[in-house]
Amino acid sequence: MTPPRPYTPRVARKFIGTYRPRIDALEKASGKVQFVDDITLKSRFPGMLYAKVMRSPYAHARIKSIDASLAEQLPGVKAVLTCKDPEVASLKPTSAGWTDGVDTVSYERMMWRHFRDRRVLGDHACWATDEVGAVVAAESEQIAEEALRLIRVEWEVLPFVLDPIAAMKPGAPVIHPEIAPRNILPKDAVGGSDVFVDKGNIDKDFARSEVIVEAMSIHHNATQASLDNWCCLVDWKSDKLTVMSNSYEADQSRMHISQMLGLPINKVRVISSYVGGQFGRGDTGDQPFFLFTALLSKRTGRPVKFRHSRRESFHDSRQPAIYTGKVGAKKDGTITSMYFKSIGNSGAYADHTMFALKFAPTEITEVALAHIPNVRMESYGVYTNKLPACMMRGVGNSQFNLIFGHVIDMLAEKLGMDPIDLALKNFGHEWDILPDRSLSAVLREGAKRIGWRAKRHKPGAGPVYDRVKKRGVGFSFHPAWHAEWQEARRGEIRIRITVNPDCSVVLDAPTVETGTGSNTCNVLGCAEALGFLGIGPGDILWPHTVDTETSLKDCVQTDSAVSYLQSEVVARAALEVKRRLLEKASALMKVKTEDLDISDGRVYRKAAPAKSMTVRDIFRKGDMLPVVVEMGRPPNTEKTGVPYIANFAEVEVDTGTGRLQVLKLVVLNDCGTVMYASGAEAQQIGGQVMGLGEALTEEIIYDEATGVPLNFNFIDYKIATMADMPDIDPALLEVWRGAGEYGACGIGEGTLTCTPRAVLNAVYNAIGVRIDDIPVKPEKFLRALGKA
Amino acid sequence: MATKSGKQAHYEKAPVKIKVNGQWHEFEPGRDVEPAMTLSYLLREKLGLTGLKVACDEGACGACTVLMDGKAVLSCMKLAVEAHGHEIMTIEGLADNDPVIRAFAEQCEPGYGTALQCGFCTPGFVMATKALLNENPKPTAGEIKEGLSGNICRCGCYSGIARAVQHACEDTAPGEKK
Repeated sequence: MTPPRPYTPRVARKFIGTYRPRIDALEKASGKVQFVDDITLKSRFPGMLYAKVMRSPYAHARIKSIDASLAEQLPGVKAVLTCKDPEVASLKPTSAGWTDGVDTVSYERMMWRHFRDRRVLGDHACWATDEVGAVVAAESEQIAEEALRLIRVEWEVLPFVLDPIAAMKPGAPVIHPEIAPRNILPKDAVGGSDVFVDKGNIDKDFARSEVIVEAMSIHHNATQASLDNWCCLVDWKSDKLTVMSNSYEADQSRMHISQMLGLPINKVRVISSYVGGQFGRGDTGDQPFFLFTALLSKRTGRPVKFRHSRRESFHDSRQPAIYTGKVGAKKDGTITSMYFKSIGNSGAYADHTMFALKFAPTEITEVALAHIPNVRMESYGVYTNKLPACMMRGVGNSQFNLIFGHVIDMLAEKLGMDPIDLALKNFGHEWDILPDRSLSAVLREGAKRIGWRAKRHKPGAGPVYDRVKKRGVGFSFHPAWHAEWQEARRGEIRIRITVNPDCSVVLDAPTVETGTGSNTCNVLGCAEALGFLGIGPGDILWPHTVDTETSLKDCVQTDSAVSYLQSEVVARAALEVKRRLLEKASALMKVKTEDLDISDGRVYRKAAPAKSMTVRDIFRKGDMLPVVVEMGRPPNTEKTGVPYIANFAEVEVDTGTGRLQVLKLVVLNDCGTVMYASGAEAQQIGGQVMGLGEALTEEIIYDEATGVPLNFNFIDYKIATMADMPDIDPALLEVWRGAGEYGACGIGEGTLTCTPRAVLNAVYNAIGVRIDDIPVKPEKFLRALGKA
Repeated sequence: MATKSGKQAHYEKAPVKIKVNGQWHEFEPGRDVEPAMTLSYLLREKLGLTGLKVACDEGACGACTVLMDGKAVLSCMKLAVEAHGHEIMTIEGLADNDPVIRAFAEQCEPGYGTALQCGFCTPGFVMATKALLNENPKPTAGEIKEGLSGNICRCGCYSGIARAVQHACEDTAPGEKK
């Protein structure tokens, strides 16, 4: 094991940036935390019914007719809704666009309004296990399942297609003809046209480039695999609808339900408590189940619970993408042209396909590729009859990095340069001169920690261990996201600080607690900002339940950005708390506010510090009213560039069996400011389970003959356990600085973005043969080595 | 997991007796317990012991781990009736100052992250650790990896968990060291 190297903060603070337990650590470690499936036990809601939805056995089919009469007669069945019922059939078509990627929007302003391809319980099944046809409410899940089996469906089985290249060809089965007559998603308002970046003239430049490399990389579809399966309980009594769920965006869910069901916003109450892992799942097109569960509750007058089984929770995936890349450079390593083209397998519904394929790479062009004079990016999102692909931790960036790091490594080899030098020569951001300080720090630290100079050798030319094993090192890097200016779309972030007469504090900084550690960041930030009260994190209560009826609007857990976005507002609100306390003190102490200050819980005269009163006494002898400051602040739009992230990997390949062992990963994040060191390290280390999973084992497998997915379970869909994980060395850096009090950026998603490419580059360094697609399973090695 | 209650069962009507967290409970067949009912269902739905989680429901993730006679069992893979006459311990049966719970809560030693993030898998890991330490009070790093390799933490806190287990068997709280 590498001996740990704790980071040294750029600015020493009392609470922010420290190593300490999470605020919810004991409740979670002792199992007392209640998730929605725990809160909604039948014993707590005696009248509760269970809902189960019909799933398509076919990859592509239409329901010609449906007869639920037998199901309705089954004892214990309380309601059956089918796609033919008017209350279902009249629902508007929808999509995953109920956010603009970060925050609540209306139906009219939804992000993908050109791709409203989802029906709530429709009659058109677009992938095997699609939720269509009918939904049942019954006294138990078993009865509901039995009722579904009694529903007679006449299917029109349609031809299907799984591969996006095949789906683009003329004559392929067309999945949503009204939206995409050739399965290719058309130009849209967010992503733009097929060629969505075209800077300079790559064609001219490639013609005169001294060195050119071309490559391909294929990113397969991993799934978020949150352990906490989707679950909701909906209670629609008279004109009021209450939803408890493990959705990670309460305000957005309320908007969606309100508009889809035609209820005033104040008649919809959404409550979200702890969520057992999110990873982008909530930003997907899953929300239709809220609606059919609500309609069942309305029909029966009883609370209805709907939850996915593990199999059903395989409901979204990373966007699979086939990328090609081409780079033109001068012999001295100056890159003059970059061209990237992607074909993304959207699966059955468009969801956020174009966010992954176009939006994220556009952001990357703006920052990392700012110094490259000629850049073209071209992309095609293609419907197929696979699991819909949507948001997953590192959306779009993970796929892009797989090709980006690939062409950099190839070009460096062709030029005879160290890829670190090549990277520093070419990449930074548009507000910066090269070499970029952040990228430089990240790559140099990574090189040191992995032992780059000693271990990097010519491809395949390193020493051989145990006669068949070869080792190599590699890395990949990426611009981080999101700095504060990149969060401008969110609008105001609202928080409320209540200081009680005993100086205990309630911090309303609503966000659904999904495990990211933002709750601890915000409490640390609050303790830091209210330091003049002489209090610590233990004196601050952070309500963990978001309830749209009582909470401020929640700040959605996207972009890994909540931890610092809310803390920035808290820092400003604390100044107002101080001002109000000084006003109270001024009246009591008969001293002008400007002559007073507060420190360590005491209000004192600046001219005579010994003349002081405790803040508690100010309350006790005054009006005893708490000081309540509510504040909203839009993200600072000052363009400050972005910092960099990187992963370095050391691998060992058994050339006899094709077994790959990752020996070590170094995970580097320039954070701007580390808000909470233990939480940041947990994200860095934790992200590797997903990153390494995508690199080595995680993949959804389909039966090509039927289109039926084969491994919707945790036995055949392989997630790394403790025994599978290598030595991980987390490195937190503070080099770049953003705007505001802290100048931090999001780090959680970026921790895994570079992992697959770092591993693949290390594999190439080990064996001298490139493998272009992930996950890299043993058979791919053997094939690449000519042994299979 | 109740089967259709209308059909008369062929099994004995004697109550199923299970000692849970130190207290004997009796479950009447047909009313409280059915032949196909899993132990996880019984503990969660009938006794309200929601610390254990059902995440995969097929023995692949370890989130439902409880102790049966001191050994780790996957309660989603155990029928409730199989626990008849046995002693079950769930996380609710542990004291708040249990050294394993404390070690998981307090892990923040630099370089290893925390031992939990979303906390969904944590009760399963804690109970698997209890079982491991029951058998092997001073496991090596390799034995910890092997002992806990039946549990999935999707947040990926394996380094922190391994560190917490080491701290737990040192029998001092990690926060008090250094």
